[in-house]
Amino acid sequence: MRRAVTAVIYLITALIGVAAFAYPFILPGLAGANADAHAADAPVLTVILLLAGLAVLLVEVQGQAVSAKVVAALGVLAAVTAVLRFIEVFFPVPGGFSPIFAPIILAGYVFGPRFGFLLGTMALLASALVTGMVGPWLPYQMFTAGWVGLTAGWLPHPRSQRLQIVLLAAFGVVWGLLFGAIMNLYFWPFVTDGSATSWQPGAGWRDGLSRYAAFYLLTSLVWDIGRAGGNAIFIAALGAPTVRALTRFRDRFQFQQA
Amino acid sequence: MRAEGWMVWVVAAATAVMIARNPFYTVVVMLAARVVGLVCTRSDAPFSLSLWRIGGLILALSTLFNMAMVHVGEIVLFRLPSDWLWIGGPYTVEAGVFGLGNGLVLLTLLVIFTTLNTAVSTGELVRLTPRALRDLGVVILIALTYLPETMGQLRRIREAQAIRGHRVRGLRDWQPILIPLLIGGLERAMGVAEAMVARGYGATADSRQPLSVQLLLLVGLLAVFAGWALSFWAGWLGWVLLGAGVVLITALLWRLGRRVPHTHYRPQAWTKWDTGMMVTAVFPLILILINRDNLAYSPYPALNWPGFDPFIGMSLLFLLFPALARRERV
Repeated sequence: MRRAVTAVIYLITALIGVAAFAYPFILPGLAGANADAHAADAPVLTVILLLAGLAVLLVEVQGQAVSAKVVAALGVLAAVTAVLRFIEVFFPVPGGFSPIFAPIILAGYVFGPRFGFLLGTMALLASALVTGMVGPWLPYQMFTAGWVGLTAGWLPHPRSQRLQIVLLAAFGVVWGLLFGAIMNLYFWPFVTDGSATSWQPGAGWRDGLSRYAAFYLLTSLVWDIGRAGGNAIFIAALGAPTVRALTRFRDRFQFQQA
Repeated sequence: MRAEGWMVWVVAAATAVMIARNPFYTVVVMLAARVVGLVCTRSDAPFSLSLWRIGGLILALSTLFNMAMVHVGEIVLFRLPSDWLWIGGPYTVEAGVFGLGNGLVLLTLLVIFTTLNTAVSTGELVRLTPRALRDLGVVILIALTYLPETMGQLRRIREAQAIRGHRVRGLRDWQPILIPLLIGGLERAMGVAEAMVARGYGATADSRQPLSVQLLLLVGLLAVFAGWALSFWAGWLGWVLLGAGVVLITALLWRLGRRVPHTHYRPQAWTKWDTGMMVTAVFPLILILINRDNLAYSPYPALNWPGFDPFIGMSLLFLLFPALARRERV
């Protein structure tokens, strides 16, 4: 029973995440005339929705994953990741490269999806607190970075280490592009106006998607290629020793549970 | 002032801007928030962004994007061949004005949250973590505590490697710096965990919530989700459902938190200034919510002057209250 409830909570929060990011495409087609009046509320309501989902999910994951060792490891790894974010903020690299994704991906890969999810959300929260980047974008960033860590935990673990690094670097490329595409969506409802007066009235999701594609190509693709490439290079250069170190510690951290 | 008051101020200001969608009110809120930010900056604030440069970029990008995407309006500046995908067609002043309005909203949100970040200390913000999420609050506290330590560690490792003749030329040269940083950090995490266990962390508290609470959390979440979806069709019903779900989840988090005994070190007293801050922040928001239907500005189909109700405009100046309160007390 408990397990079923947990599974349903995971499913619902995943759906909430997808819905929160995708509603600008679905909304105009479905709601028709009502969408006009509603366009202004939607971003406010969506932030509330995301916060509620995040709170419930975090309570749930916390109840399962917590032990003193996990808490300490999460805290220290989040600190290391936040330090990397300082490097990013103070020595800006051209393009959207950010060194914070590599540790989230690698830790999620070694420690599993649950740890990866928590590290993604906590690292983003901690680094936002210290660099002064708290804002309405934060729940979106936490959700997305959590997904990065979560999905990294689902990757297969091939025997050959070279293959592992190739796999992780490719994963970094995919998420580098995807992170940009997903994060743009949080201000997409601001940039579009959602009113029937501007574009073709009654535009469906197909039209919204093609406009979003144009927006993405025009504004953020170059930026995101920088991030994707940066992830791949970072993981290729430093991934192997990092995975070795993390694996060694995983055995020590799991000592109690085994 | 306490962080709760600041949260109300931030949420009220941001919501007012997002709902009003009128350049005049947006500019009033932006200026008020900037003044508050400049007056209330605390001494140990993190570095702040150069708002002018970022602001210019946001405004220019959103204006150009809307002009390139939306080809409606009467005052045509120039035309691109209409067979160019998406960006072809007439470029109009109306579309530019609309894009500028969108950019102003984004920029104002940025200013509001910059103010929050410079005015409220990190520790105060962490204190707002719901007690039900105490373990994750501990994670954040460990992260924040170890951050300066990790920075120092990074510097020490770099110096130690430099003494050995190591120089950073390429990315691979970061390996002898970052890997010791990681391993040192994990070693320290083991130490922290041992210290926590020795002090009884996790010894008594049962971190698994009862099944009933879990089920109710699920119900609350479903209500929020359904309310959010419903609000697209039947406005107020969705709002009610969403509000009920939020109340349920908040109550459950509060109840879960009650099971955790804790103490406060030097709690900051709630003063009349905090009350004043909340009241003055919520008042203009209520005015805007009441009048919301005739506030929004649209330059389509023909350029017109945005409406401005001086009463609402003046009420937004109440958002300046934190700056006044600060003056009073210093």
